[in-house]
Amino acid sequence: MKLINRKNFVSIVCIFFTLITCGKLLAEKAYGFTDRYYTENIFTILGFSVLITLILSIHFYLQKFPFLIVFIAQYVLTVGIVFLGVFIHGLFSEHAPTAYWDMFISITIPFLGGALVYYICFFMQIRKANRILAELGVEQSK
Amino acid sequence: MKLIKTKEKDLKENYLELHYDTVDEETTAVLERLRDTLRYIEGTYEDKKVTIALTDIFYIETVDRKTFAYTKDMCVEIKEALRDILEEYSKIGFVRISKSAIVNIYKIKKLQGDINMRVIIFLKNDEKLVMNRSYKNEFYERLNDLQGRKAK
Repeated sequence: MKLINRKNFVSIVCIFFTLITCGKLLAEKAYGFTDRYYTENIFTILGFSVLITLILSIHFYLQKFPFLIVFIAQYVLTVGIVFLGVFIHGLFSEHAPTAYWDMFISITIPFLGGALVYYICFFMQIRKANRILAELGVEQSK
Repeated sequence: MKLIKTKEKDLKENYLELHYDTVDEETTAVLERLRDTLRYIEGTYEDKKVTIALTDIFYIETVDRKTFAYTKDMCVEIKEALRDILEEYSKIGFVRISKSAIVNIYKIKKLQGDINMRVIIFLKNDEKLVMNRSYKNEFYERLNDLQGRKAK
């Protein structure tokens, strides 16, 4: 089943955007940090949300390939596109010395979090299926 | 309608016997369910025509445009395509696990996941099959359906 399609693409981008922005605002509040590049960062989050949604939407077409390879390829592709964006941005204006590192962290944490959730769901599904299979087996042998 | 189960030692084959005066709605419903479950399929095994019960089949796969049904000790070539088998017999536990294979859920011993998020199916005859990730949701839905039907 295709989870991300043309109809829900914009809604998913909006959800990502809202969640990341809320996370950013909460982190700023918690650390008492004032973002000097507020507008730029908001648009970066929007671009990032579109990119993540685009990359996740191609996952459906890659289901026949091993998950680990697909995951690593998607991660490398995301990092590559973002770094390219940072590089192009750097040609027109100055950016922070830690820009690449910050973007790397910003990509890695959601990717690892997502992978962890996916793995946990995957193994929980298997555990539930094994329970049902055991029940069906018991019922048959009665 | 009453169900009486009797355990008999050394019985060669399990059997069901129906005692009735008139076949009422409840009995008809039970017979309707049994009709699918007790279906047989024809095929070829070592150049001989054989008939096998669908419930004896562990899995069915297509190799080089030929369809083979695997029982505990036979690999029978059958004429039906996977799609036709799924259309007719998905109710009794057959579900697709890859483009070229369907499995009988009742013949699965357990499932196991690997690092590549593939689901390995261990059958009761100690064979192993690999479920394609794109058929995972369909498989779990069928499993939940069968569990729901059993619970009713």
